[in-house]
Amino acid sequence: MTTKSPPARSPSAERLQRLLAMVPWIAAQDGPTLDEVSSRFDITPTQLAADLEVIWLVGLPPYTPDALVDVVQEGDRVWIHYAEVFESAHRLTPDQAVALLAAGASVLALPGADREGALATGVAKLAAVLGVDADQILDIDLGAAPPEILEVLRTGVAEHRQVRLDYYSYGRDSRTERDIDPHVIQAQDGSLYVVGHCHRAGDQRRFRVDRIASATLLDTTFAPPADEATEEVFAADDADPRVVLDLPPSARWVSEVHPVEAVEERPDGSTLVTLAIGAAPWLDRLLIGLGPEARIVDAPDDLAGSARRAAARILDRYR
Amino acid sequence: MSAQKLERLLNLTALLLAARIPVTGERIQRELGYPEDQAAFRRAFERDKDELRSMGIPLRVERVPGRVPEVDGYRIPREEYALRDPGLSTDELAALHLAASAVQVEGMSPTAGLLKLGGLVPTAGGHEIGVRVANLPADPNLSVLFGAVSSRSRVRLTYHDRERELDPYRLEFQRGRWYLTGHDHSRDEERNFRLDRIEGPVVVLDGPSFEAPATATPGRARGPWALGGDPVINAKVRIDGPQARWAMQHLGPDSIVSVDGEDSVVVELPVTNRNAFRSFVLGFLEHAEVLEPPELRDEMVAWLEAMAG
Repeated sequence: MTTKSPPARSPSAERLQRLLAMVPWIAAQDGPTLDEVSSRFDITPTQLAADLEVIWLVGLPPYTPDALVDVVQEGDRVWIHYAEVFESAHRLTPDQAVALLAAGASVLALPGADREGALATGVAKLAAVLGVDADQILDIDLGAAPPEILEVLRTGVAEHRQVRLDYYSYGRDSRTERDIDPHVIQAQDGSLYVVGHCHRAGDQRRFRVDRIASATLLDTTFAPPADEATEEVFAADDADPRVVLDLPPSARWVSEVHPVEAVEERPDGSTLVTLAIGAAPWLDRLLIGLGPEARIVDAPDDLAGSARRAAARILDRYR
Repeated sequence: MSAQKLERLLNLTALLLAARIPVTGERIQRELGYPEDQAAFRRAFERDKDELRSMGIPLRVERVPGRVPEVDGYRIPREEYALRDPGLSTDELAALHLAASAVQVEGMSPTAGLLKLGGLVPTAGGHEIGVRVANLPADPNLSVLFGAVSSRSRVRLTYHDRERELDPYRLEFQRGRWYLTGHDHSRDEERNFRLDRIEGPVVVLDGPSFEAPATATPGRARGPWALGGDPVINAKVRIDGPQARWAMQHLGPDSIVSVDGEDSVVVELPVTNRNAFRSFVLGFLEHAEVLEPPELRDEMVAWLEAMAG
C-alpha cells in the first residue's frame, strides 16, 4: 500500500497553531502551573517561556498596554487576561477531525471495548460540535476477535504472563497448541494479531486473534522485550521450497500482495514470479483462486500437483 | 519563523477576528508594521495570508462597505473560526489522547486537534487499550470526503473511468482499506467505492445539502463478496472443520442459517461480487461448499473442474 507523505508543515506554523490553542486554554483557567501548561502543550519550560514572551506583545490597535493581552506570571503559575479576541480556539480542520474521530471510532469498535466510558462520551461530544453523528458517518473495523480471547491476550501483554493458545494455522490448515509470551497486539489489514515469542517455534511469531480457538492465561511470567516487536506475516525460510509461477496479466496483483523473491515481466503483460512456499495449503489456495490460467513452471514434485489434488478434493464435495 | 513574524501573524489574526467590517490592506500595512515599500508589503502579506489559510483559518476577502471607489478588505468571520467548546472532561480528553496514540491515520497528526481541545492529557491509572499500533492508511481524498460526508454535500468523482455525482453517506474502514458509501446519481443507487480507486481529486459541489437516509446498522463488517456492483444474489454456504467457529464469529449472527454442532455451520451471504465470493469460499479449501443457488454452485463446479483438469 502506498502512502502519501503529509503536507509539509513548518515548525513555525506549528508554533502559531499551538499559541492559538494555548492562549484560550490558559485564559479559561485560574492560573495553571507552568509545568501543567508545558506538559499539556507538549513543550519544554524554555519553549513555554519564549511563547509567553510573544503572547505578551499581542493585542489590538493601537497596541497600547491596555489593548494588549495581559500575561501575569506569579511563582510557578500563569494567568492570561484581556484575551477576548482569542476566547475560542480555532475549529478543527477536516484532517484533525478525521484523525481524532477515526482513532476514537477504531478503539470503540474493538471487541470488548467500553462503549459507555469516557472515550465514548468524548467522541460523542466532539462529534456533536463538529455537527456529525459519528456512528452514522464513520464505520471502522480493525478486525474481529472473540472479546474473551482478546481480554486474555491483553492481560497477558499487560502483566507479562504467558498464554496458551489453541491455534488454527491457516497456511498449514491445521490446529496446534502452543505457549507464547505475548508482547503486543496489533491491527493490520483488517485483522488483529498478537505478536510474541512462541515457545513451540522457539522464535518470534505473529498469530491472528480470530484464528485462536481458545486462550488460557498461565502463571508463568516473562521478561518483556526491550523494543516493541513487529513481525512480517510470513518470513521466508531458506529451507522452504521455491516455486516459479507463470501468471496472466490479470494476476499481477500477486506480486504486490505476496512477498515474491523474483519477478520477471514479459512483453505480453504476463509475469514469471518466484515464491518461497511455507506450506502446501497456502499455494493450493493461491492457485485454485487464480484458476487454470496461472501455471506452475517449476516446483518440487510434491508441490507440482498439489493444487490439482486440492481442487479434486473440493470437487468431491459437490458430487 | 522569527518571534517578530509570529507576533505579526497573531496580531493579524486578532485584528481580522475583531473586525466587524473588512479591514483594508492599507490599514493592515500601517497597523502591523509591514514594510513601507509596496512590493515588499505585498509579498510579505501574501505569505502571511497563505500561512493562515494553510492552517484552515477562514480568511475572507470582501468589499469594504461604503467606500468609493470600491476597495477590498479582509476579515476572519468569528462564527466560522471559533471552535464551539465540546466541554470535554479531563477523562474524556485523556481517553481521546490514548486512542489517538494507539490508532493513527497516516500523515494526519492528532496533536494539533488535541491541543485545540485542551491539550495532551495523560491517562490516569494507565489504562491499557492493548492495541498499541494500528495505522490506518492515508488517502489523498480522505479529509475532503470526510468534510463532504459531515456537511452532507454532493461530490463529483471519477471511478472506473466514469465521472459520477454522488451523495456521500458514510466512510468505512474494512480489511485495511477505506470505502465510501453513497448514492450514485449516475446509476441512481447506493454503492460502495474504494477510496484508493478513485481517480484524481474529489470535488465538493455547491448546492443544498442532501438528506442522508437512516442507514442499516453500521458496525457490521461487510465481506469483499458484498462490495461489488453486481445484482445481489443470496448464496448459502456450508462451512465445516476448524474454521466453522471463525466463520460464525466473523460473519455474525445475521448470516447464520443453521449451526450443526461445533464444527459445521450454514451461512447466507448477499453476493454482489462473484469473483470475491469464489475466492472467499475457496479459501476454506475442502472445508466449504456452496449449497445454493444452483447458478453459483454450478459456477464453482465448473471452476474447480477446470482446475482439477
